Amino acid sequence: MSDRPDKEQAQVAPMFASAEKIYPREIKGRFESLSKLATISLLGLFYAVPWLMWDGRQAFLFDLPARKFYLLGLTLWPQDFPYLAMLLVIAALTLFFFTALLGRVWCGFACPQTVWTEAFIWMEQWTEGTRKQRMKLDKAPWSWNKLRRKGSKQLLWLSFSLWTGFTFVGYFTPIHELGPQLVTVSAGGWATFWTLFYGFATYGNAGYMREQVCKYMCPYARFQSAMFDEDTLIISYDEIRGEPRGGRKRTADKEALGLGDCIDCTLCVQVCPTGIDIRDGLQYECIACAACIDACDSVMDKMNYPRGLVRYSTERSIKGTDSKVLRPRIFVYAALLSVLFIGLITSMATRTPIILDVIRDRNSLYRELPGDMIENIYTLKVINQRNDEHSFHLAIEGVPGITLDGVPEVIVVAGGGVLSLPVRARAHRDNAYGIMEITFSVADVDDASLAMSETSRFLGPTP
Amino acid sequence: MIQEQYRGTRQWSRNRQAIAIVVWISFLTAAVGTMVFFAFFDPVELSGTFDEDLDIGRDAGYAAGFFFFWVLTAICSAVTAWLVRTAPKRDAKNR
Repeated sequence: MSDRPDKEQAQVAPMFASAEKIYPREIKGRFESLSKLATISLLGLFYAVPWLMWDGRQAFLFDLPARKFYLLGLTLWPQDFPYLAMLLVIAALTLFFFTALLGRVWCGFACPQTVWTEAFIWMEQWTEGTRKQRMKLDKAPWSWNKLRRKGSKQLLWLSFSLWTGFTFVGYFTPIHELGPQLVTVSAGGWATFWTLFYGFATYGNAGYMREQVCKYMCPYARFQSAMFDEDTLIISYDEIRGEPRGGRKRTADKEALGLGDCIDCTLCVQVCPTGIDIRDGLQYECIACAACIDACDSVMDKMNYPRGLVRYSTERSIKGTDSKVLRPRIFVYAALLSVLFIGLITSMATRTPIILDVIRDRNSLYRELPGDMIENIYTLKVINQRNDEHSFHLAIEGVPGITLDGVPEVIVVAGGGVLSLPVRARAHRDNAYGIMEITFSVADVDDASLAMSETSRFLGPTP
Repeated sequence: MIQEQYRGTRQWSRNRQAIAIVVWISFLTAAVGTMVFFAFFDPVELSGTFDEDLDIGRDAGYAAGFFFFWVLTAICSAVTAWLVRTAPKRDAKNR
């Protein structure tokens, strides 16, 4: 324990060595492959999805200018906002579930901040080389070589960022048209602006801010510990096995030297993208990328020691007590999630694709017509959420003998269309007095089960 | 010393931290606010209620709404951060 860095000093030191860059060392291993796979598939999805087509139009398009969301064959309207709210609740609960089970697996493998940073680090490695070469290059004076390497890195970073911004906007504007428009500088001002905005954010976040975003700016990093318990799988250093740490020859007998398994090679610190020492215990800077596991395993292999001195484990089992990963909390989260998910799917599958809005004319209470008739005026909005044209019957009830004037027998609404229909409702004054509740309803001509109704008020003279 | 030799110890100053937090959190809040707001209100219809001659597209409407929310949340966030940081320390000690 004697050569263990003084904790006090470790926390004070950074104040003086401010703004020193982290050069994470590259490492090969199981988790590195997993992270590579996650990065490639997630980024691949992000960049490929807007190009997918469905029935002759973009398969996933959040068409904000038209206020319609297309998801494969489904078209969502602003009126479907509850689905979005429900989806967000499900997303939050999913995060709770995975955090309770696997700690910060989101941070290490799926968070956009991590994924794009990873991609930017690859580009850095292609152009500037390994950790050692990068450190040397940064210290070296400007030369043709340095300019060339730094320049090509910037070129890669900038083009990748712009492409990212373009793809992002492509989720909201038809991407097949947006591409040529951007190239010929004929895209709308806002599309260009958001492309640059998102591109710049990617460049800054993944190129420069990196782990600082997780350390200082991310709310999840601060509160995720509230979702942990002693049975959460976290990346931890087996102190019982590792200590006392110390260097030794590969052939040395550690028992004779009175040492634990940790050879204090500091590889786990060198590979850490947030620059912490996992051997100091769980720290909130740790984004659970598992690079230290790969590093330590490779060393253990060389030393012919068993792997797993640094490993995924629970707080309880690292202390040597029994630990149950599948505990009630996990089942409760899983059950809640399945209920919500099934609920969402069912309600989306069974939703009525018609919306009827009734707006009563606010300018007049009622009109008296010859023949003792009372008239009220409304504007109906019939929205057909399906993609093909449909015909509807319109009906009204609530006042004896009430009729509609100026309404065709069958109203036709185009696919994805909104029909605004001014209507006059009339009733005899013997039946219409005071405030009465009436109900408008539309029903599909071909399929009467597709119907929607909406109530409004019918005003008449005070009796 | 491990820290000096191997560990990157990049640390932001407190002002830089505060600015980054204010900008980022107000951005997130504004994004959520914009989403909810425009799910219920169409910018084209809204602009018509203020001034019938005002004819802005939805793109511009969304952008204006978003930046309005962002400025608002950033002001709120910045003033809160500033008040929390400049609060008299004595109170806490005497309690």
